[in-house]
Amino acid sequence: MKNKLILWLSVVLLIVLIAFMAKDLFKTGNLSQKNVYEYDLNSLRHVDDSKISHKESKQIKIEADEIHAVAVDQEDNIYVGTDKSLLVLNSEGKPINNLKLRQAASCITVMDDGNILVGMSTRIDVRKPDGSLRNSFVVKGDRTYITSIAVQDTNVFVADAGQKIIHHYNIDGNKIKEIGGKNQAEGVKGFVIPSPYFDLLIGRQGELWAVNPGRHAFEAYNFEGRQISNWNRTSMSLDGFSGCCNPSNIAMLSDGSFVTAEKGLERIKIHLPSGDFKSVVAAPDLFEPGTVGIDLAVDSKDRILVMDPAKRLIRIFEAK
Amino acid sequence: MKKDRREFINTCFRFAAGASIVGVAGVLASKSVKGDYLWQLDPTKCTQCGRCATSCVVTPSAVKCIHVYDMCGYCDLCGGYFRPNVKNLSTGAENMLCPTGAIKRTYVEDPYFKYEIIEELCNGCGKCVKGCGAFGNGSLQLQVNHDLCVNCNECAIARDCPSDAFKRVPLEEAYQFAGFKTNKKI
Repeated sequence: MKNKLILWLSVVLLIVLIAFMAKDLFKTGNLSQKNVYEYDLNSLRHVDDSKISHKESKQIKIEADEIHAVAVDQEDNIYVGTDKSLLVLNSEGKPINNLKLRQAASCITVMDDGNILVGMSTRIDVRKPDGSLRNSFVVKGDRTYITSIAVQDTNVFVADAGQKIIHHYNIDGNKIKEIGGKNQAEGVKGFVIPSPYFDLLIGRQGELWAVNPGRHAFEAYNFEGRQISNWNRTSMSLDGFSGCCNPSNIAMLSDGSFVTAEKGLERIKIHLPSGDFKSVVAAPDLFEPGTVGIDLAVDSKDRILVMDPAKRLIRIFEAK
Repeated sequence: MKKDRREFINTCFRFAAGASIVGVAGVLASKSVKGDYLWQLDPTKCTQCGRCATSCVVTPSAVKCIHVYDMCGYCDLCGGYFRPNVKNLSTGAENMLCPTGAIKRTYVEDPYFKYEIIEELCNGCGKCVKGCGAFGNGSLQLQVNHDLCVNCNECAIARDCPSDAFKRVPLEEAYQFAGFKTNKKI
């Protein structure tokens, strides 16, 4: 009897032991356990609500494989550059026109008279308001890559991220000069552009503003090519810009404040004309992580149009 | 012609033995042509969870950060070098993101800085890789250093990797960099 009991106990013990050992074959361990070496970026993506000045009022879905650029005209019509065409929408997002492009649009600008300038890698097409081609010209250079166009009267300024300079043309495509090239004799440090994000705009006084993304700086030039103002804010916090090329895109509000789009930590902010941080338009949690190439435009009502290439949306933000 | 059962079974066994010999010879020949296989980490799948630092049987880990200089922006405010919200962009230990101080920052010319990995100090945690990928061009990448890896039959990191980034690669593709054409160790 005693022997039988020992035998049964041994069998039970053996079964427990086998079950304990077999557990390892089916269980892979607690992978969700916090690792001391993990770098948690989620805290950097959080923005306090009190710092957010705008709310999203509208989303316009763009039917295209890729979207690359957004612009608005004097009547607040919206122009969206895709990989194949230029879409023209009214301010509510209803389609007005669809213009076929020879290659993907990298940037768009609409002149006061309605002419549309479309930048495509190394070429600029100037189209009449009805969409027909007015003229076209190529920006020469082995490394040319057009990322932005700014227009004042008949002056066309072209941001070339490949050659790290701004080309000054007239509307007919005749080159006038180059702006912002490195010139040690004159103390011009030049543009630092580690990746192809190099944006331009025309300020309220008609001055040309360019982002110097590698320095996290804004630089203003007159039409003679002389730098007349600049500011920079390098910081991983909300008050500045971080990473190798930020801000990636810019726009300007009617009061002269700058609207900025960043990559890395995808966020849209407003900086005062002095450069100081004012508020957040869109926090990183509104974008998919890894979204790059967010383009901006501001219409006559100071609505901020944000082109979200990952979600293929034009997202409109209005002040709260 | 009629075959008896014994003869039929014999024939089957002969065929099975012949097929086995041919199969084994084929596999061995294919292996000798293809060469050895090594464990490597696919940077496109890696999520920098930090487990490479703690799971490897080698101490410190055989996984190291490797700098692909051709992709680097040589930034002053490097997201792979500095902690978030640093006050000064200096080489003070309190500013460094790397827990072992394995990144050396050197001034090149305005506004560029060079970042070098001190391999002996790197524990493969991937914090710098995550910071560089989030804020910069992603030039810092984790790779298994084959000079240090003992090439376990069952890699302990591969078993723990939550993103399935570890795989066996042929010797001639020993290093796998993302966004870079040549897969040679730098």
